[in-house]
Amino acid sequence: MIKVKNLKRVYVMGKVEVRALKGVSFDIEKGEFVGIIGPSGSGKSTLLHQLGLLDTPTSGEIMIAGVDVIGLSEHEKTIFRLNRLGYVFQEYAILPELTAVENVYLPSMMIGKKRERYLKTSIDILETVGLGERLYHRPHELSGGEQQRVAVARALVNKPKILFADEPCANLDTESSRHILELFKKLNEELGQTILMVSHEEWHKKYVDRIIYLKDGLIEKM
Amino acid sequence: MFKNLKVSLFLACKSIKRGNIGTTILTVMIMSLIFVNLIFLPSIVNGIGETIIQQSIDCVYGNLIIEPKEDNLYINNVNSIQKKLNSLPGVVGTSARYVTGATFTHKSKFVSGAVHSMNPTDEEAVTIFHKGLIAGEYLSKEDTDEILLGVEITGKEGVEGEEADLGGVTVGDKITITFSNGVIREYRLKGIFDISVMSINSYAFITEKEMESVLGLENKASEILVKVSQRGTEEEFKKKFMELGISDDIKTWKEKLVGVMESILGSFSLITFISTIISLIMAVVVIFIIIYINTVNKRKQIGILKAIGINQKVIIHSYVMQALFYCFSGIVIGSILLWFLVSYMVANPISFPMGDVSPLVEQQLIVTSMVSLIIVSLVAGFIPSWKTARENILKAIWG
Repeated sequence: MIKVKNLKRVYVMGKVEVRALKGVSFDIEKGEFVGIIGPSGSGKSTLLHQLGLLDTPTSGEIMIAGVDVIGLSEHEKTIFRLNRLGYVFQEYAILPELTAVENVYLPSMMIGKKRERYLKTSIDILETVGLGERLYHRPHELSGGEQQRVAVARALVNKPKILFADEPCANLDTESSRHILELFKKLNEELGQTILMVSHEEWHKKYVDRIIYLKDGLIEKM
Repeated sequence: MFKNLKVSLFLACKSIKRGNIGTTILTVMIMSLIFVNLIFLPSIVNGIGETIIQQSIDCVYGNLIIEPKEDNLYINNVNSIQKKLNSLPGVVGTSARYVTGATFTHKSKFVSGAVHSMNPTDEEAVTIFHKGLIAGEYLSKEDTDEILLGVEITGKEGVEGEEADLGGVTVGDKITITFSNGVIREYRLKGIFDISVMSINSYAFITEKEMESVLGLENKASEILVKVSQRGTEEEFKKKFMELGISDDIKTWKEKLVGVMESILGSFSLITFISTIISLIMAVVVIFIIIYINTVNKRKQIGILKAIGINQKVIIHSYVMQALFYCFSGIVIGSILLWFLVSYMVANPISFPMGDVSPLVEQQLIVTSMVSLIIVSLVAGFIPSWKTARENILKAIWG
């Protein structure tokens, strides 16, 4: 599903070069739930940004579902993200002017699906993540955990090939975090959803199939 | 394309509906005032032009004016010409006038000017002096020792100054006139008129019969004014008059006014142009600031939209649509404000030296203002949203 080969990302800040990824290679199979764990500054989020096509690596290769995504144009990357990837951010990155259901169906609307279809799918997903009663609430009327579940629902609405989650529980209490992780586990086990999740919490390990440990921009162990 | 516009419209609608209502109202109000400003001043200038034209037709030239050919002082065979003209369908009336220089004297006051002659019945069919009487009576055909004066010549009683008037003569007073040919005669002031136009209020009229006796002429005229039933058909009538064999100089009011209008309206057009440019710059600045602040505040949201796969064009279009919403709402409310303002000013015109002026709102002016405002809104909405939307996703989300 994902093939990463000698991936490097160097940020140039004035005269200083920050080597966030120093040459990372790994494969992820379809249906795997993989955790990326490492200390702060190890390059976890940078790696996810490259895989999620939110940033462009300095060098290396990324193949997702057989597509060399680094060679895609910006416009092609946008379409690829919309159709094939789901992304859950650390913060509850949902739009404050839209209700829960509107936030969820926006990517489906963008694809051009019919209203009845995307509305039904969005409501079904929100019910799956336990927000069936909060469909028409706006973000400021939802708790942090609920907002993050809306973000998860939005990431899943177009049935992505891979779901990327960048420390999705970082701003949540333990109870809410457990809800999110159990949801991921359920999606992975029941629907075979491929998930790549960044975390720095030790107790999250039990939810994933395998772990990639990062340290100083390199894979420490897999 | 359609699905993209649908998403843009969806985002724009939600942003307006659920955004800051105070900002929306304020922006729409500013846009409506800009729209009013774009139309109001030019329409006042149009109104001034229209007043000059109408007063000139009603008092000075008629729709067409026949003057002697070059080197001739008078038009000959006037009765025959008038008869021919009056027989044409669409000609409402003709008035032949003699015009000569004169000095008006009353006690120690004197004024120099021109005296016009009139056949009162003919003049009534062509001009509006009979409607402007504020004291006394209109002339009768057989009057020989009576005169009709404009309020600028009579002056106002008790008002002393450097004004070129007779210091407030009233109906019944005796006015001595020294004609340019040296003839001196005394006339009783029969009536005073006020047409609200300074230059026309300096006119003086005696009857045609009296003027012919002063000048020793008959069946001649300095000018013949012709009134036709419909303004705008003057060129057709000019051709018809020439076909009738009138060899004198025939001019339409447009030809007579071209120099005057250019000099008066030329100065106003510069003011109008500056005002229009300032209004449009204001519109650009307002929309630009609103959209700029909006996009800067929503930088993170724009980043998120891009991250979840929303096309950059969709995001830009949603902000352009918001700008257009402000623009169209401003046009609608501005049109309502303008309607009230114009209605009030039509009922209460502003007094200018050239007459009472009401705004004249032309359809072309409205269309031009709308199009200008829409174009500047498109530009002012596009630039800040384009600048923000093309930013790197991670930079937009995390700064």
